[in-house]
Amino acid sequence: MAAVNLNTVRSVIEGRLATELASAPVIPVVFHNQPYTPTPSSSWVQCLVSFGGNNYLTLGGTTGSSNSVIGVIVINIFTAKGVGPSANYTIGKRIRDLYNRQIISGVHFDPPTGPEVMGSPSPEGYFQTQVRMTFETFEDL
Amino acid sequence: MAFYRGQQGSVKFEDTGGATALITSTRSWSMTVEKESLDTTALGATYRANVGGLISGSGTVELLYTASSGDETNAFIEMVNTATDEGAAAFELLLTTGKSITFDGVITSAEYSATVGEIEVITVSFVTNGAITLGI
Repeated sequence: MAAVNLNTVRSVIEGRLATELASAPVIPVVFHNQPYTPTPSSSWVQCLVSFGGNNYLTLGGTTGSSNSVIGVIVINIFTAKGVGPSANYTIGKRIRDLYNRQIISGVHFDPPTGPEVMGSPSPEGYFQTQVRMTFETFEDL
Repeated sequence: MAFYRGQQGSVKFEDTGGATALITSTRSWSMTVEKESLDTTALGATYRANVGGLISGSGTVELLYTASSGDETNAFIEMVNTATDEGAAAFELLLTTGKSITFDGVITSAEYSATVGEIEVITVSFVTNGAITLGI
């Protein structure tokens, strides 16, 4: 094993979402540092993966030891404004089910929070909810 | 002056003779070496007198469960369940490379646990058998 490859972890998380939302009904999804101009009143999803705390798991130096790598996923779900939350929650369920307690390629996903309604959508003009969850993976040096 | 952090420590073990091997995924260890005191106060004395008695040690090793098999880590977490234990298992508790406490001992308990949302931990307790060598 080796030091964790952050892009591998990111691709596990983002790839899972991209694959799910590419199946019917298709929902556009945008990730960190990607330009996107949404179509007004359309549905789309923004997925933001961030790495956070890292902790010692075991004794040892730079070899024969393990660390915990923890991160958070924030997924913003945007749907048409003024038509109720149903379409939004339908997407929210797809996303929750995608990660809820899953262990994918060594990435452990915790139970998600949300979809939580956001009082001030950003960008404006949409009904926005947010699904958040933490994840943990292990680094073996 | 050198100082050391906990992660520089490690635990080695061997249950069947031969060289000790590293116990993987060890999270912590602790050991207490105790010496009994024998009261030698004479009748009529004002101050109590003591001399040292028998020396013994005990402690715990906490490790993360990794489902390893066929190695000393597996032997370490299962040895409490052996029917005959003559106390010949070799322990080596290292504070840092080359600085260790070595002894033969008996594993007296192993606490296996699983808690939702947490990494599975096994806590193994031991007592010493015979001489303790402090190479620290």
